[in-house]
Formats: sequence, structure tokens, C-alpha cells
Amino acid sequence: MDDLKTLRDFGRQLEHEPPPTLVRQRERLLRAGASGPGRRRLGWMMAGLVAVTTALAVAVPALLVGGVDTAGVGVPAEPRPAKVTGALNVLLVGTDSQAGSERFRNGARTDTMMLVHLSADHKNVKAVSIPRDSMVKIPRCGGEPARRALINSAYDTGGMACAVKTVESLTEVRVDHTVEVDFAGFAALVDALGGVEVKLPAAVDDQAAKLRLPAGRQVLTGEQAMGYMRLRRVGDGSDIARIKRQHGVVMAMLRKAKSELTDPVKLREFLTTAARTIRTDAELDVETMIELAVVVRDTEVSIVTVPWRPHPDDPTRVQWVQPTADRLFAQLR
Amino acid sequence: MITQPAAVRGADAELINASWTEPEAFADLFDRYSAMLYRYVSRRLGPEPAEDIVGETFLVAFSRRKSYDLSFPDARPWLFGILTKLISRHHRTEAARYRALQRVAADRDVESPADRVAAGVSAQAAGPGLASALAALPAKDRDVLLLIAWGDLTYEEAARALGIPIGTVRSRLNRGRRKVRAALGDTNPLLGEE
Repeated sequence: MDDLKTLRDFGRQLEHEPPPTLVRQRERLLRAGASGPGRRRLGWMMAGLVAVTTALAVAVPALLVGGVDTAGVGVPAEPRPAKVTGALNVLLVGTDSQAGSERFRNGARTDTMMLVHLSADHKNVKAVSIPRDSMVKIPRCGGEPARRALINSAYDTGGMACAVKTVESLTEVRVDHTVEVDFAGFAALVDALGGVEVKLPAAVDDQAAKLRLPAGRQVLTGEQAMGYMRLRRVGDGSDIARIKRQHGVVMAMLRKAKSELTDPVKLREFLTTAARTIRTDAELDVETMIELAVVVRDTEVSIVTVPWRPHPDDPTRVQWVQPTADRLFAQLR
Repeated sequence: MITQPAAVRGADAELINASWTEPEAFADLFDRYSAMLYRYVSRRLGPEPAEDIVGETFLVAFSRRKSYDLSFPDARPWLFGILTKLISRHHRTEAARYRALQRVAADRDVESPADRVAAGVSAQAAGPGLASALAALPAKDRDVLLLIAWGDLTYEEAARALGIPIGTVRSRLNRGRRKVRAALGDTNPLLGEE
């Protein structure tokens, strides 16, 4: 008697056939393939998530505000992608410097670039996060000739007009409006909301971040929240953990904002603050904002990243994966 | 049995190589082997964790695709190696599974001892003994034994999967088989001593 044969027979009894849902794992693999390897992919995904929630937390209320300090985008009257009736595309640019001054033309780093699309039937919002390290063809603008460069250099050297022109030429998606978000303005928003509630698994005492907090559930001020989000030497110290914390704060903000938005007085206060932390284009008027804010509140929001892979010439830069990227943008046209 | 030879459809290594520039090519590898790996995990850990572990295996493999030695056309040993590592994280689940199989089979024996006699040397009769033998094996011996018995790998392939010398595969396999034979001897006197 062959013991291996008996063992094989025994194994066959224990065996299960793969369920149809195994295909989900294939999709998981394809997603990983489309957006790059390992940790970095996760980083981008989470960064995208943070940016979108930020965009929603900031943009939605801001859209309600009249008298926002608007700035004309001034996209040259050259042929642009056609306007799709009903649908709306907003280009969101997050910077790490104060927006609203001339400073962003020299030295402001674009941290986040995102196309937020509202479908024509207003049923869903799709946010497409554009990796800032994307090597792309930037059209002639802002006194600079056409060139191949990182996408964020379009904004950094030519401002919003250049960013819009570049995104439109790459995606063939008509950018209807723009929003600039200054991440540092976040603290003011948290305070305007009366703080955010977070739950700390352990006490924090971090000299670098000048932050001391006890463990447990508590309400953080704007400054504390910013410090908390920036902590590095806590938990397992990874960037992923940090991004998760940021995500937690942003989600807490969204929850708070949602409950506060029902009170007209608080709403007005909050929106006034929000208005100071962002810049929108001149065409994003009160009517459009109210329309947006109302529909966005009840729509499905999904977040994706432009499919990318490490650039063959320089692995620290990324290259969009075609035709997958084009197919994605086609959904926004 | 659960193996699909790669040679007939173009080498796995070619797919892996292609996936360097076209990540989508890696999905073909999934189509080739996901069912096979699923069946293997389902034997060791049951169906619940199997799906996720198979998915993880391919994600890990994908992230390491550039370090794959393209001189090996067949990627099964590589995938089984990754899979085995992931399975080892679930050693408690595996041990509990064998213990449960032991109990279930033992209960059945008590209910109808005649069945056991009728089943003779069948795997069903051997079940409780095999389950307890597998549960008792050191993880390293069990990995080798099951890669060969259930994964249908050759000695060379098992050595490659686990990154150990072939001599080590032989000695671990021998130890494992000795215990399995002992267990079968306990279960069924017909198998006796060899």
C-alpha cells in the first residue's frame, strides 16, 4: 500500500472547487498591475482618498458660499474639449503653500491633482487622482514651450491656466471649473467646525510635532489635528499609518461637517472660513455652487487613480498606462 | 491531478518577462494557476481563507516578478513557494482543521465501526489517522510532504519552491512519510509494517 496514494486520496476529499468569486482576486491583481507595485500603490491610493475627502470636505461647503475670492483661470481661447451638457468636471489642485497669492507661481508644490467628475445625471461623482510624478507632454503655455515634463510642473510654472490646458490636452476632458486647496488651511476649517473627534489607541507625546495627547476619545483643535496628522514616530511609524491617521481625521471632519451643515448659522461661519482657504475660478458662481453642493451630498463617490507604471527611463517617475488611462478619461467626457 | 503542465501553452517565464512592461500579462498566469492553487489551499486550510490567500499569492508574485529566474520556464514551484509562506501564517487554522477532521472521522467510527471495516484501506478510513499525523508533523516536514503529495511537485520543484537543497527535501519527506505510515498502521491493521 502506497502511503502517498492514500494521502492523495485523503487530500481529494478535503478539496474544494474554486468559487466564481475567485475572479475578484484577478481584478485585485489587475488593479495592482495598473497602478504600480506594492507599497507605493497603496500610498497613492490612500493619498487619493485623503485628497478626495479633503476636496469634498472643503469644496462642497465652499461651493455654497457666495462672494468667494475668485480668480479667473484665463485659459486661452484656443480649441478646447467640448462641453458636455449636464456633466461637470472640476480640476482640484492641492498645494502646500498659501494659495491666493502670486507665490504659487514660483515654488508652490502641487501635492495633489485631481479631476472630479459629476455625471450628467448627477447620480455619481468620480474622482480621478493624477499622480504628481506623471511624465507627460505639457503644451506651450505660460511663456514656456511645449515639453515633456512632470505634470505638476505645469501648475508650478504656469499656474492654474497651464494646469488646465495640460490636463485638457492629455485627457480630452473639458475642465469646467477649478479649485485650489491649501492643505495648511485645513486647521482653520477644523476650528470652524468646532474641532474633530478622534480616538487615540495610545497617548501621544511628540516633541517634533509639539503634541501631547492622552489616549482615548477626544476632540482635537485645528492645530492639534494638523500635528496629529503629521506625526511620524507613532504606531509602526510607516507612511501608510500616517496616511490612515490623516484619513481618519478627514472622515471625522466630514461627519462633523455633515451634522453642522444642518444649522444655518454654523453653516455660514464654516463656509466663510472655507472660502478663505480655497480659490475657485470666476465661472464657479453661486448658482453652480449651490447646484453642486446639493447634488454632491447624495451621490455615490468613487475614487480612482490614473493607471500608471514606473517610467522606463526613470523609475521614480510614472508613465500612464495606455489605453487603460484613455478609457478611464473617456468616461469623463 | 491538480497540475496543468505549462509547456503546452508557452512558458510561464515568457509571461512573467512580458509582464515587466505589460503588467496585464501577469493576469494570464493567474488564469493558468489560480484554480490549482485554490484547490491546494482549500485542502490545507479549507475554503474560507483560500480565496484571499490565492489573491495574496499573485500580488506578492507580481511585486517580485522582476526577481523571477527566467531560466525556469515553469512558474509553479515559485508560486507554490510564495503560497506555502502565506499558508504558514495560518498554521493555527490548519492545525484546527486537522483536529476537527480527526474528531469528525472518529465520531463516525464510533457510530458505525462496521463502515470502517467495509471501507477497508480507503482514505476515508485512514482519515482520522492521516489528519492526526498531519497535525503532529513539524511545519517544515508537512510543507514538503504536501507539496509533493497534494501539489504534485517533483523533489526538484519542491526544493526550488522552498529554497532548500534537494537532500533536505528527501530527508523531510522521509520523516513525514514515516509518520504517515505509522498513522495508517494505527488506523488499519491491514497496512501493517513494511
